[in-house]
Amino acid sequence: MIIRLTGIGIWTRDLTHFSTLLANTAIDPQADYLIPAPAAIPARERRRAGHFISLAVEVAHQACDMAAVDKTTIPSIFTSALADTEISDYMCRKLSQNEKLISPTQFHNSVHNAASGYWSISAENRAPSTFVAGFDRSFGAGLLEAASQVIAFDTPVLLVGYDLATRSPFQEMLPIDVPLGVALVLAPEHHAVSNTAMLDIRMNIVPKTGRSQSTRTGGHPMQSGLDLAHQSAQLQRGSRSVGTLAIDTPRSGHLWIELSRRIGA
Amino acid sequence: MRVALASGHGGLAPAQWPDCTIPCHLGVLPAGLDAAVSAEMDSRNNRMIDLALGQDGFADAIRELQKHLDPGRLGLVMGTSTSSIDRTELGYRSLDAEDRFTPPFIQPRVHSPHAPGDFVAELLDIDGPCMTVSAACASSAKVFATAKRWLDQDLVDAVVVGGADSLCLSVIYGFHSLQLVSPDPCRPFSPDRTGISLGEAAGFALLTRTDTGNGIRLSGAGESCDAYHMSSAHPEGLGARLSIERALKDAGLGSTDIDYVNLHGTGTRANDEIEGKVCAMFSNSRTVLSATKGWTGHTLGAAGIVEAVITMDALCTGLLPGTMNTLFSEAPFHLLLENLQRPTRHALSNSFGFGGNNCSLVFSAA
Repeated sequence: MIIRLTGIGIWTRDLTHFSTLLANTAIDPQADYLIPAPAAIPARERRRAGHFISLAVEVAHQACDMAAVDKTTIPSIFTSALADTEISDYMCRKLSQNEKLISPTQFHNSVHNAASGYWSISAENRAPSTFVAGFDRSFGAGLLEAASQVIAFDTPVLLVGYDLATRSPFQEMLPIDVPLGVALVLAPEHHAVSNTAMLDIRMNIVPKTGRSQSTRTGGHPMQSGLDLAHQSAQLQRGSRSVGTLAIDTPRSGHLWIELSRRIGA
Repeated sequence: MRVALASGHGGLAPAQWPDCTIPCHLGVLPAGLDAAVSAEMDSRNNRMIDLALGQDGFADAIRELQKHLDPGRLGLVMGTSTSSIDRTELGYRSLDAEDRFTPPFIQPRVHSPHAPGDFVAELLDIDGPCMTVSAACASSAKVFATAKRWLDQDLVDAVVVGGADSLCLSVIYGFHSLQLVSPDPCRPFSPDRTGISLGEAAGFALLTRTDTGNGIRLSGAGESCDAYHMSSAHPEGLGARLSIERALKDAGLGSTDIDYVNLHGTGTRANDEIEGKVCAMFSNSRTVLSATKGWTGHTLGAAGIVEAVITMDALCTGLLPGTMNTLFSEAPFHLLLENLQRPTRHALSNSFGFGGNNCSLVFSAA
């Protein structure tokens, strides 16, 4: 599948925008690793959005702004290894008590597609939107689904991969040290990119089954999204001509990815 | 299920759920969940999956298919809302002094949204593309849309789709916190409806590019968002209308071509009113509609597959199930109250979820 990468959003420790990677400058120092609710979310919903939702919505808007796509019509795919562990923790603690009183807001935010809901409200977007999971290989699952939707809908598609840092007892299930969100805008090969676009990378994605190629063990479940962003920044700066990545998909497969700058881009 | 529908046996009963004090009716699996699956993967949800895969020779049919298929060409898309949170809830009751899970709850692959997909892939030895969709009550309808794209793009030759959501305290107390749980068995589209009854279910289907003999086609899928509110549907049903229209367009059909609609029909005051307004588009001499959550309860992340199976079976048998518990209705279309036997060619199923996530599917007899 040959598609184009036209926008990247990123938020993690000391890196709060793709422009920092692109400029190859110093880190974005932060006092707090927990992201505030993005201003793009309308006030009524903003006060209900927790860190997990905020992380996803922030990087989603960053990527769409960079790609200069129509936010009201772009389909979206959200993916995460553990979803909102802050809310799972809240719900399970409350339910282990006698009274079992839980907040209706926390309950409706506990659905794994909560960020998709807040994103759609903030962007007034009624296109298809989904959440897919593949445990520690969720980014690969999301990328496969996103690429498949680019081909099916023949429009740009938004992919958002995000996980919070884990605390006990989830920490022992999948250790995640920092919150990390990566969003990509992927477009059909023939899609005309706006003049304002800062990024235009050709991606050749080949789904492979059999033994995984990646040597990655452990680490952040969204690390391959961060790797992709780093390679894209290097390509865009012209410091290399081609990049390759193997991104694991759930079970035994992986996506073999070749990145190159578009000719004339 | 076919026997239960034909003989009028629903699954809702007064709640008897451990540690639950909310007066309500539940659709609880009657038996067969006592046997633990592997210690690594054990949860109520996974036990239910294990049970469902053994029904109607489904797992055997997959194994037979695998003899003739390149292992990488069989995919899996599972849908769930709660995954194995039932197990996480239990684990939280016995955390140690450092807030860690104690054995036997140290199960990394269980405490994750992907637990159902992971478990089914392992049980059926599926090596192709595999993922778990979690979009609230639209989850296991959306699995059909994803699988259809994979087949259309030749990523795979066949896809197992499924859905599983077991009952747990999270959903009973969660919906109670929103004041949506009915004390009575739910009465979808009844003017005196009082809310939802929750249920649990697991179900599966196999999608292939070519007809395998039963003559049922997934002819269209439509997805949309409301972009309105996290837990209230758009007042004019804008998202619901879009998902139905997109499914009909994908199928190349109009609303008057549809013989039967399985409504989302949860039994809450607001949802049924809004779906009723939207489905007035099916007010014609041909289309009959019904809501089946009075039979099964609202099985949340499994509702999509449960109602897809009911809809597909209607194409096979011509049995269109009535709207159990509902005695009369003011819906602006022909709502079936009793079962009806009638040959059916095209049928549509609606699934709408929190986050304003909507999916409609069209199935057709070949």
